[in-house]
Amino acid sequence: MEWGLFVIELQNVTKTFGNHTAIHDVSLKVHKGEIHGLIGASGAGKSTMLRVMNLLEIPDSGSVYVGERELTIRSKRALRDARKRIGMIFQHFNLVLNKTVGQNVAVSLQLARVSKHKQMERVRECLRFVGLEDQIDKYPAQLSGGQKQRVAIARALANEPEVLLCDEPTSSLDPHTTSEILTVIRDIHERLGVTVIIVSHEMDVIKSICQRVTVMDQGTIYETVSIEASGIPKSDRSPERFIKELKNDA
Amino acid sequence: MPDILLRYQAEIWQAIGETFIMVGVSILAAILVGLPVGTLLYLCRKGNLLENRFVFSSLNLLVNIIRSFPFLLLVVFLIPFTRLIMGTAIGTAAATVPLSIIAFAHYSRLVEQSLLEIPKGVIDAAVSMGASVKEVVFKFLLVESRSGLVVGLTMSTISFISYSTIMGVVGGGGVGDFAIRYGYQQFQTDLMLYVIIIMVILVQMIQFIGMTIARKIDKR
Repeated sequence: MEWGLFVIELQNVTKTFGNHTAIHDVSLKVHKGEIHGLIGASGAGKSTMLRVMNLLEIPDSGSVYVGERELTIRSKRALRDARKRIGMIFQHFNLVLNKTVGQNVAVSLQLARVSKHKQMERVRECLRFVGLEDQIDKYPAQLSGGQKQRVAIARALANEPEVLLCDEPTSSLDPHTTSEILTVIRDIHERLGVTVIIVSHEMDVIKSICQRVTVMDQGTIYETVSIEASGIPKSDRSPERFIKELKNDA
Repeated sequence: MPDILLRYQAEIWQAIGETFIMVGVSILAAILVGLPVGTLLYLCRKGNLLENRFVFSSLNLLVNIIRSFPFLLLVVFLIPFTRLIMGTAIGTAAATVPLSIIAFAHYSRLVEQSLLEIPKGVIDAAVSMGASVKEVVFKFLLVESRSGLVVGLTMSTISFISYSTIMGVVGGGGVGDFAIRYGYQQFQTDLMLYVIIIMVILVQMIQFIGMTIARKIDKR
């Protein structure tokens, strides 16, 4: 496959917390249009590396480029504008629990100063994309984990980002819901052409949808490899299936 | 209605009016000053959006000092300051000055506490969406902590009623002052008891209303 311009580039980035070095002198290029995985043991620095990409963590040294723009030298205002072009989802969804599903998605449009009229339309569009249009007036507490993550995805998509950063997006979900969320993420990649960077400690998640994977170890990059995405496993939740698996493992 | 209450009807209504003025101004001070100060305490704390050791330590110390004063001494200590801004240190209006000071200090702590309960991830999400500090506060933090803020204001209001009862020392009047002067000092223990009952009912009502509102707006 022909790769276009790099969409995200880290150059010699170091980030420490107190006297613990989370990532050390890391350089990485994420290509436009790929699904890029970051995997490694806990504490390897994969989440920090992801959070540096939209400057949620400010690096101690090094540069971060998104597209042509260097984020690390931008003014606060320009940085905020750049962040609106980068969607992000999290392990614990991080929805505002006192806002309805619709309001959660709308807030990201409000931040981007989208007109009230267009907001409504776009909120519905995004919720339709993740299959939750009928839940628009519910509160997050009334939803399942998978539905909450889909709301978070809709919120991240609202401003038509070029990049979607996913920080352990399926780590608090069961296998069936994991497949469901991975399918949505792959759809975003295929139908909207969004570059996806996904951090996970679960090998199955990484193997199922990533095209390139960076393996991290002790705050540095061990190696980046290209792989063939193995596809998202169909998950069967029927009782027969559970019995079969229990007996097979015995 | 007991005779003695009827006999002092006019005085009691006036006292209740004075209490409402003192507590009302305290609530205003809590919201207008305590809420911003509490939010600033939270934001300037280590690891938060506006991390600033100097601002945090200064505000923290100020709030602690005000809160550690025995309230009666704070009122007396503030007399020159009260006179400076109100022209007099005596009367209901003057009494609102020390009350407002304890009110903002009291509520700012509860605001800070409510904000600290919000999961940090919500702020990550807000920042990742390009929210400015102001937007994080108004579109995320205050929305998410709103029921805690109402519970806090309810607790504060009840404390303000209690604080207001001693304002008789500077001629502030109010229900507490009435109970002391007409009930206790004139040996009309039954009158004092009735006033206490009135206050218990008042506090129960505030507690009930506050908790009901807090429950209604909490969707978490």
